[in-house]
Amino acid sequence: MKNRTNRSGKTILVVLLAQVIFTTAFGQSAREIVQKAYEKFTGEESSYSIMTMTIVRPTWERTVTFKSWTKGKDYALTLITGPASEKGQSFLKRENEMWNWNPTIDRLIKLPPSMMSQGWMGSDYTNDDILRESSIVDDYTHEIIGEETIEGRACYKIKLIPREDAAVVWGYQIRWIDKKDYLMLKVELYDEEGYLVRTEIGSEIKQMGGRLIPTRLELIPAGEEGHKTIAAFDHIEFNIPLDDRFFSQQNMKRVR
Amino acid sequence: MQNEMKNHTYAWRNLWRNRRRTFITVASIFFAVFFALIMRSLQLGTYDYMFKNIIESYSGYIQVQNPEFWEDKVVDNTLHPDEDLISTLNADRNVQELIPRFESFALASSGSRTKVVMIMGVDPEKENLLSDVKNKLVKYRLTEAAIDSMALENIPRNIMRNLKLFSGSSYSSEGKLQTELDIKDQDTSDIMPLIRKHAGIRNGYFSEDNPGALVGNRLAQYLGLSRGDTIVLLGQGYHGTTAAGKFAIDGIIRVPAPDLDNKIVYLPVTRCQELYNAPGRLTALVLHIKDNSDRAIEQTIKRLSSRIDSTYRLMGWKEMNETIVNQMDADNKGGMIMIGILYLVIAFGVFGTVLMMTAERKREMGVLISIGMRKSKMAIIMLYEMLFIGIMGISAGVAVAIPIIIYGHHHPIVFSSKLAKMWEDYGFEPVMVFQWIDKYFIWQSVVVAIIVLIAAMYPVFKIFRLKEVEALKA
Amino acid sequence: MITKTAWKNVWRNKIRSFVVIASVAVGIFAGTFSVAVMEGAIAQRLDDALNHEVAHIQITHAGFRANNDLNFLLEHADKMAEKIRSLEEVEAVSYRLVVTGMANTASKSSGVIINGIDTEREKQVLGLDKILKEGSGSYLEKDDAGNRAYIGEDLAKYLNIIRFTLTDAIVDSLMAKGVPPETAEKLQPLAGTRFKNERTFRKKMESVFTREEQKEYGPLISEISRSFRKNARLALTFVDRDNYHTGGMFRINGLYDLTNNMLESTHVFVHYEDLARLTGIPPGQGHLIMVRLNDVDQTEPVTSKLKELFPGTEVMNWKQIQPELAMLEGMARMMYGFFMVIILAALAFGIVNTMLMVVLERTKELGMLAAIGMNKKKVFRMILTESVFLSLVGGVIGMIISKIVIALTARQGINFSGYKEGFEAMGFTSHIYPHIGNDFFILVTILIILTGILAAIYPALKALKLDPADALRTE
Repeated sequence: MKNRTNRSGKTILVVLLAQVIFTTAFGQSAREIVQKAYEKFTGEESSYSIMTMTIVRPTWERTVTFKSWTKGKDYALTLITGPASEKGQSFLKRENEMWNWNPTIDRLIKLPPSMMSQGWMGSDYTNDDILRESSIVDDYTHEIIGEETIEGRACYKIKLIPREDAAVVWGYQIRWIDKKDYLMLKVELYDEEGYLVRTEIGSEIKQMGGRLIPTRLELIPAGEEGHKTIAAFDHIEFNIPLDDRFFSQQNMKRVR
Repeated sequence: MQNEMKNHTYAWRNLWRNRRRTFITVASIFFAVFFALIMRSLQLGTYDYMFKNIIESYSGYIQVQNPEFWEDKVVDNTLHPDEDLISTLNADRNVQELIPRFESFALASSGSRTKVVMIMGVDPEKENLLSDVKNKLVKYRLTEAAIDSMALENIPRNIMRNLKLFSGSSYSSEGKLQTELDIKDQDTSDIMPLIRKHAGIRNGYFSEDNPGALVGNRLAQYLGLSRGDTIVLLGQGYHGTTAAGKFAIDGIIRVPAPDLDNKIVYLPVTRCQELYNAPGRLTALVLHIKDNSDRAIEQTIKRLSSRIDSTYRLMGWKEMNETIVNQMDADNKGGMIMIGILYLVIAFGVFGTVLMMTAERKREMGVLISIGMRKSKMAIIMLYEMLFIGIMGISAGVAVAIPIIIYGHHHPIVFSSKLAKMWEDYGFEPVMVFQWIDKYFIWQSVVVAIIVLIAAMYPVFKIFRLKEVEALKA
Repeated sequence: MITKTAWKNVWRNKIRSFVVIASVAVGIFAGTFSVAVMEGAIAQRLDDALNHEVAHIQITHAGFRANNDLNFLLEHADKMAEKIRSLEEVEAVSYRLVVTGMANTASKSSGVIINGIDTEREKQVLGLDKILKEGSGSYLEKDDAGNRAYIGEDLAKYLNIIRFTLTDAIVDSLMAKGVPPETAEKLQPLAGTRFKNERTFRKKMESVFTREEQKEYGPLISEISRSFRKNARLALTFVDRDNYHTGGMFRINGLYDLTNNMLESTHVFVHYEDLARLTGIPPGQGHLIMVRLNDVDQTEPVTSKLKELFPGTEVMNWKQIQPELAMLEGMARMMYGFFMVIILAALAFGIVNTMLMVVLERTKELGMLAAIGMNKKKVFRMILTESVFLSLVGGVIGMIISKIVIALTARQGINFSGYKEGFEAMGFTSHIYPHIGNDFFILVTILIILTGILAAIYPALKALKLDPADALRTE
C-alpha cells in the first residue's frame, strides 16, 4: 500500500512541477518575445538612416525626405533634405529636449510640448512617438493571445496591457511579432475604452544595413478616412561611430 | 317725445360736458402709452446697439468660410475665394465691403524666449471697419524712467502716488489713463501734456506697403521687443508644411483683455498667407453689410447661399456667437418684465381714474335711470365714452412719442461719467439709443387699449348694480 | 396745523386715496422686487466668480502675467501667505503652482493650465470641492496615492474621457424621463452603441430625429447617456525649471463644473507636491497667491495694503482681472436707477391727476379758507403735504410688502428654470436669491417724497389761481 501511494504522489508532483515549468515558460515567453523584438528595433547603439515619408490625406499628398542619426534612446538628429521648401531644417532630440533649427528664419528654437501636438511635419507621428517615453517591455504585462500570418510570415499575436504606474496613454496594445526573426509587423493601439486609435503596419521586409527589417511602415489613424503616413527606409546603417557631441545645437546648423 | 340721440353722439357730448374730467382720464392713458413707448424704444435700441457693437468688433455679421472650418479651426480648413465668389458677393445689394481674415497660431521667438501666440492676418485698412486696430495703438507707457522724470515736474502728490502704483501699465486711450490715475477733469489740461511728454510713445501702423507686425503690449514686453525689432514666427502651415518667417514690428497695440494682450500678433493678410504657405487662402471672408437689421441679414444669407458654390459656407453672426444670442434673449426677457411692471403701475393709474370718475357720476347716473333711461343704453354710452377716451389717449401718446423717438434716434444719449470711460476702453460706447419705429409701437398700444377696455368694465358693472335710491342720495 | 389738516384731507375721499395709495404701493413693490431679483442674480454671478474662479485678490511675480514662464516664481510664497493670513480682513489664503502644458489621452490632446494646489487650503479660498459635478468622481483628497487630477467637464468631453453609451436600459428609461414614445423609439436600433464623443452622438441623433426633436430632447438624452470612468488616464506634459520636457501620468479623480466655460476647458488641478516634484520647484514657492476676503467691499483697501506690503510683485484684484464683473455691477445700478425713475414718473402722473381732482373739487372750501385769511403759501404747502402723504403711505406699504416678499423668497430662492439656458449663457444661475440693501430703501423713500412734491406743484398752482369770490359764489 505504501508504495502505490508514493508512486501516485510522485506522479502528481511531477505533473505539478511540469505544469509550473510549462506555465512559467509560457508566461515568460510573451515578454521574452516582446523583448527580443524591442531590442531588434532599438537595441542598436547607433544608426544612420535615409528615409522618405509620405503623408496621405483625402485631398492631398506630400512627401518629405530626411536623414536621421540616432544614438541610444536619448539622442536623435534629423535633417530634412526635401522638398526644397523644407530643406535645411533640422530637429534635435536630447533626452527631454526638442530643438528645431530653421534656416529660413535663421533661428534655433526649443520646441514646447504644444508645438508637436499637430503631428511632426504634418504627419500622423505624434509627440509621444518622438519622445518615446515608455518601454513596451517594462511598462506592460504581456500575453500571447493567438497566432496569425502577416506578409506570409507566421506571427505571435500578443496583447500588452500597461502596468498601473506606467506613463502610458493607451488602454492596451496588440502586436504581431514574427516568429522567426522577431520583427514587429503590425501594431494596434487601443484606448482605455477599447476603441482602436491607431494601426501600424510593417512591410517590404528586406536586408538593409546588415539586418532584416520591415522597410516600409504605414501609420494609420483610426476613424479618419483616407489618412495615413507612410515611412520608408531608403538606406540604413547600424552601429556607426557617433560621438555625443554630434548631437549638439551647433551641429544642427552644420550637418549635411 | 324724446329725441333718441345716437349713442355715440351722446357719449361724445358727455365727454365735453365735463372737460376737466375727460382731460384727466385721457391724460392718464396718454402718459401710459407715452412711457411705454419711450422705455421700450430705449431698451430695444440700447441692447441692439450694444450687442451689435460686440458683433461688429469681432466676427462681423456674415462670414464666408470653408464648410469644415467652424468645427475644426485649422489652417488646412481654409477657403480659397475665387473670382466668381468675389464678384457674386460684391454684386449683392447689401454687401459693402469684403474683409479678409486669416487666423491661426504660431510660436514666437525672441532671444531665448518663446511663446505660443495668436496670429491675426488682416487687411490693415479694411480691418478698421471691424476690430478697430488703429485705435488700439499704445499711446502712453508708464515706464520707471518716465515716472522718474515726471517726479521732477510739478505734479500733485496723489497723482504721483497713482503713477507709482500703476507703474508698468500702458494705455491706448486718454480716457482710461485719466480714470485710472484719478485725474480730475479740471486738472487734465495741466497734467496731460506732462504725461504726453514723458510717457508718450511713438507708435506706428502697418500697411500692405509697410508689411510688418503689430504686437500686443504684454507680449512685446515679455519678448523684450519694441517697435523696429524683429519678431520670429514658427508654426504649422498648410498641408503640413512648416510656417516660418521674420517680421519687423511696426507698432505696439494694447488689447483690453490681458489674456489676449499677451499673445496677439497682427500681420497684413498677404504676408500671413505667405507665412502659412497658403497663398490666396483665408480662414474667413467677413462681409461688411449696409443694413444690419435681423431681417436684412437673414435675407442676405438666403440670397447669397443660393448663388454661391457649395464649397463655401455662409455663417450668420447668431451661429457664430451663440453665447451672445442667449444673452440678448435673456436681456430681452428681462426688459419685457420691466415693461410688464410698468403696465401694472399704469393699469392702476387708469383704473383709479376711471374709478373716481364713476364715483363722481353716481348721482348723475341715478337721476338718469330714475327718469327712464335704460341701464343697457347707459352702459353702451359709457363704453363709447371709454372708447373715445382710449383712442384720444393712445393717439396723443403715440403722437408725442414719435418726434421724441425720431430725435433721440439721431441723437443718442451719451454718458460721460468715469464708468462710461471705462466702457469705452472695452469698445463699448456708453450710449442709450432709441429704437426706430417698429412693430413694438403696435404692441404697446394694443396692451394699453386692453387695459382701458378692462378698466371700462368697472363703470359698466357699476351701472348694472346701481340702486337708484342710493344713487340719488349721493 | 397744516400737517394735521393735510393728513385728515387724505382720508376724506377714501376711495380715491385708496386707489392712489394702492397704485403707489404696487409700483414700489414691483419695482423694488425686480431690482432685488436683479441684484440677487448679479450677486450670485459675482459670488460664483469670486468664490470659484478668481478670489478677491491675486498676487504674482511681476512678470508672470505677461507670460506664464515657470521661473517667474514668488520665492517666499509660503511666508507671504502666512503674513496675509494674519490680516483681519482676510478670510483665507492659498498659493499654487501654475504651469502651462499639454494634456493627452489616447485619442486627443489639448493645451492646458496645470494648477498645483494645496487641496485643503483651496477649499477655503476657492471652494473647488463644491463645484464637483455630481456623479463624476471626487475632488482631490489628502491621502490620494499616485498622481491625481481634477479637471473640468468640458475638458473631459473634449479629450473623450466622457463617453456616451446608449444602453438598452437607458433607451428604456427615456420615456420615464420625459421623452415621448415616438422619439424614444427612434433610438431603439441604436441601443447598445457606444459613441466616441458627444459630437458623434449628436450627429447620429440628428440623423434620426427631426430638428424639433433634436432641439427639445437632444441635450437631455446626451446628459442621460453620459458616462464618466473614474481613474481614467491623463498624460500631462510640460517643461520643468530647466526647460526640459517632463510630465507624468495622472489619474482623474473627478470632474468639476464652472459656469465660466473657458476656465473649465483649460484648468487642471493637481496636488502641489506632485507638480513641484515634476518641475523641480522647491516647496514653499508658488506662482500665484489667491486671497479671499471677508467682505467684498474691502477689495480696494486691501489691494493697496498688499501692494505696499509686497512691492515688486503684481497685485491685482477681481475688478482688474475680470473687469466685466465690475462693469456688470455698475451697469446694473444704472439700470435700476433708470427703472425706478420711470416707475415713479408713471406714478407721478397718477398723483397729479388725483391732486388736480382734489383741488378742483374743493374750490368752495379753498375759497372759504382764502376768505378767512389763510395765505396762499399755506394753501400751497397744504396741498403739497397732502400729496406727499398720499405717496408716502403708498410707498411705505409697498416697501413693507417688498421687504416681506424678499425675505420670504431670499431663503428658498426663485427658480427661473424656464429661462435656464439664457441665464446660464450670461453666467448667471437660474436659481436666484433676491437681495436688496437698506440704502436702496432710503433712496426710494427720498424719491417718493420728491415725486409727491413735484406731482403736486401743478395742482397746487391751480389752487392758488382760484378766486375766492368765485368759489364762494358757487352754490
